[in-house]
Amino acid sequence: MTSARIFFVGGLMSFRAQFNWLNPWILIPSLMIEPVAQILLFAYIGRAAGVGDDRFYLIGNALNYAAIPCLFAMSSTISGERWGQTLGLVLVTPARRIPLFLGRSLPVIVTGWAVAVFGVAVGSLLLGVSVPAGAWPAIVLAVAITSLSCTGLGLAMGAVGLRIRDGATLGNLIFLALLIFCGTNVALQDMPGWMAAIGSWLPLSHGIEAARGLAAGDGLSAVQGLLLHELGIGALYAALGMAVLAWMERDSRRRATLERM
Amino acid sequence: MSRLRTRVRQLAVCYWLQIKILLISPFEGFLGVVFPLMFATATLMVYRLNGDADALQYAGLGAAVMGIWTSVTVSASSLLNRERWSGTLELLVAAPTPFSLVLIPITSAMATVGLYSVLATIVWNRVVFGVRLQIESWPLFVLGMLMATLTIALFGFLLSVTAIRYRTSWALGAALEYPGWLLCGFVVPLGLLPDALRPLSWALAPTWAVEAMRAAASGASPWADLAVCLALGLAYAALAAYLGVRLVDSARRNATLALT
Amino acid sequence: MTAVVARDLTRTFRTHEGRFKRTRRDVAAVRGVSFTIEPGELFGLLGPNGAGKTTTIKMLITLLLPSSGSASVLGHDVVTDLREVRRRIGYVFGGDRGLYDRLSGLDNLRYFSELYGVPPREQRQRIGQLLEVVGLTGREGERVEGYSRGMRQRLHIARGLLHDPDVIFLDEPSIGIDPVGARELRATIAGLREQGKTVLLTTHYMFEADELCDRIAVIRDGRIVAEGTPAQLKGAVASGRVLEIETYGVPQHVVTALTGPDGVAGVRSASVVERGHLQVLGLQCDAESEVTQQVLARLGDVRVGRVSAREPTLEDAYVALVTDP
Repeated sequence: MTSARIFFVGGLMSFRAQFNWLNPWILIPSLMIEPVAQILLFAYIGRAAGVGDDRFYLIGNALNYAAIPCLFAMSSTISGERWGQTLGLVLVTPARRIPLFLGRSLPVIVTGWAVAVFGVAVGSLLLGVSVPAGAWPAIVLAVAITSLSCTGLGLAMGAVGLRIRDGATLGNLIFLALLIFCGTNVALQDMPGWMAAIGSWLPLSHGIEAARGLAAGDGLSAVQGLLLHELGIGALYAALGMAVLAWMERDSRRRATLERM
Repeated sequence: MSRLRTRVRQLAVCYWLQIKILLISPFEGFLGVVFPLMFATATLMVYRLNGDADALQYAGLGAAVMGIWTSVTVSASSLLNRERWSGTLELLVAAPTPFSLVLIPITSAMATVGLYSVLATIVWNRVVFGVRLQIESWPLFVLGMLMATLTIALFGFLLSVTAIRYRTSWALGAALEYPGWLLCGFVVPLGLLPDALRPLSWALAPTWAVEAMRAAASGASPWADLAVCLALGLAYAALAAYLGVRLVDSARRNATLALT
Repeated sequence: MTAVVARDLTRTFRTHEGRFKRTRRDVAAVRGVSFTIEPGELFGLLGPNGAGKTTTIKMLITLLLPSSGSASVLGHDVVTDLREVRRRIGYVFGGDRGLYDRLSGLDNLRYFSELYGVPPREQRQRIGQLLEVVGLTGREGERVEGYSRGMRQRLHIARGLLHDPDVIFLDEPSIGIDPVGARELRATIAGLREQGKTVLLTTHYMFEADELCDRIAVIRDGRIVAEGTPAQLKGAVASGRVLEIETYGVPQHVVTALTGPDGVAGVRSASVVERGHLQVLGLQCDAESEVTQQVLARLGDVRVGRVSAREPTLEDAYVALVTDP
């Protein structure tokens, strides 16, 4: 069983599992109307305050909102029953864990990416923000990287969420932290030092900065440092999450409580 | 006369017991306070960059009531689903009391609990951002806030009624959270919004309640605004009552009262 | 005036299947059910899962609109006279849902008292009485989330009786209750009849229906297949005896060979029930025939344990009614 096969087959299966509410009446309001509403809200706040331009808020909020599917979908994948069985299997099969995890998280990453791109596209139409046509491919890449790194945070959050009772509250709190600290509506340099420090250790901050630069016309080479930084942070959280999961596996094996997960 | 008294008593007792239910779980209420609070914070962070004290005042006042809107749009739309899950929805429909009179105390309790977040936001804004609300007439200001609470509760009643027939309407209701903040002029002057949206803002009762609160703050007369607000609230209630009867009938026809 | 009249009630559900290609399927849950219940009667509706019992009840208590047919409770039509019907009926269903977990038992009763129109002056007294009747006095101050299943069920019943309804609909009330609790429950239900209430009871448990009900209707696949007193049902369908033979490893073909044209004369039906490592072969036989020797001969080398004959019970009648080919 090659790593690639685990990656894709595993991914396709979990897509259907996680979206058993594939009902348009739920998806459209949550993933299409709300992000655009958040973008418009802060764009107008920015106009009223005379701070920043529409593009600033467009990028920030589109990417910030896209973290929601990354966080929640990932943690529900982890707490899903199939995952529990998968975890048990992983202990026994020689399958490599990294492709397995990546496969499970692929649909999540794609969803987050799609929500962000949709938000940026629709928001830019509604607000009349012009983005240089040549910048779009790079922006799409930046969004994908950001989505990947948020999913890493989602993995960590999901791992912790297995032990605590109220995972949804944790998810909401993390989303709010991302709203406040990651430069969504106020650039890191305009924040008090301690807040910027927190923000720079969270996903999203570097991705947002990079995407803003790209939308303003900077080339990919100008922002690649930021994107690598973003990727690194995401990997850090993903590794953290996997470590927590591994610890819990060992712990529950010791206490024979694998089903509890 | 005694029939009216019985009705009023029923509304009051049900309201009180529903508040009890909501208050018993402080954890759920926690997010109901923190979520709008953090959005208010993000808003004020942006305004603060400008250094305009008046703008901070403006936003701070509106931000105070964001929580009531959140508490109702998010909770009211999923209210009936929660009743479905606990098996009580059928018992509520099978009761001889008109369904509207069953729902109104529940959404009112939600709106009341939203007042918690008003208090928390005012204190937070003072402590973190140094926003000291300058209110010329506190009684009128509080009246405006209570009117906001009542009319938002009635709007919540309208939202919740749709869910008796359509199990997924909660998502649409919850998606009204942000647009409401924007369209009701909580944190952005309505003049900045596209003209085409103005009628939408005017049709939302909280817009007038917030206007009244701003008037009370600056010493102007809020009565006209309060009157329009109340009228709109009553219109929501009438519409919801009418829809409620038809939707319950439809639910009975299409069997959506139970879980399956 | 009869208490409950159902005339040709039908109910069809429309289900949607598939995500992208939505196919519609119509499922007929109830297909022309008719019966009447006299005032003061305890009427049982028996049937397997999915037979349409709950659907029928929900139509009678105004929660579902019939697709066709009509019904009335105490003279009021269930489709048009909603409020009149609702004021006079009580609805209790089994399981642990139907209560507000976060409120105390007392608060739950207070809440429903208001909704079901119990006059304020009488509330305290009624609530106290009902708590006494269901045996929850002293526990009403605790939150329902801490109640055991049996306690919840009992509170649920108290809730259903708050407004002193004339007709009470009990939908599998003893499901999941321990034997002692169930016995007390049955006593409570019997007590309702003593008070002159009309009761419609659905249940799976034969001995419960046998013990409590004045009349029973057996429903299967949305249709009533038999109706009468417990004695009549036992008599009409399974007159005769039931022969029970414990066997160890009886092959299926031997069982089927016992009935039918080549079977043993006098054996009407044969069924096998697993009990641990043996199977109990149950044969419904005509009353006059003497089949034991022939059956044993047919069983041949199959190892046999105890052989006994008994009167048919309601359960035998029920099984025959709902599993007829």
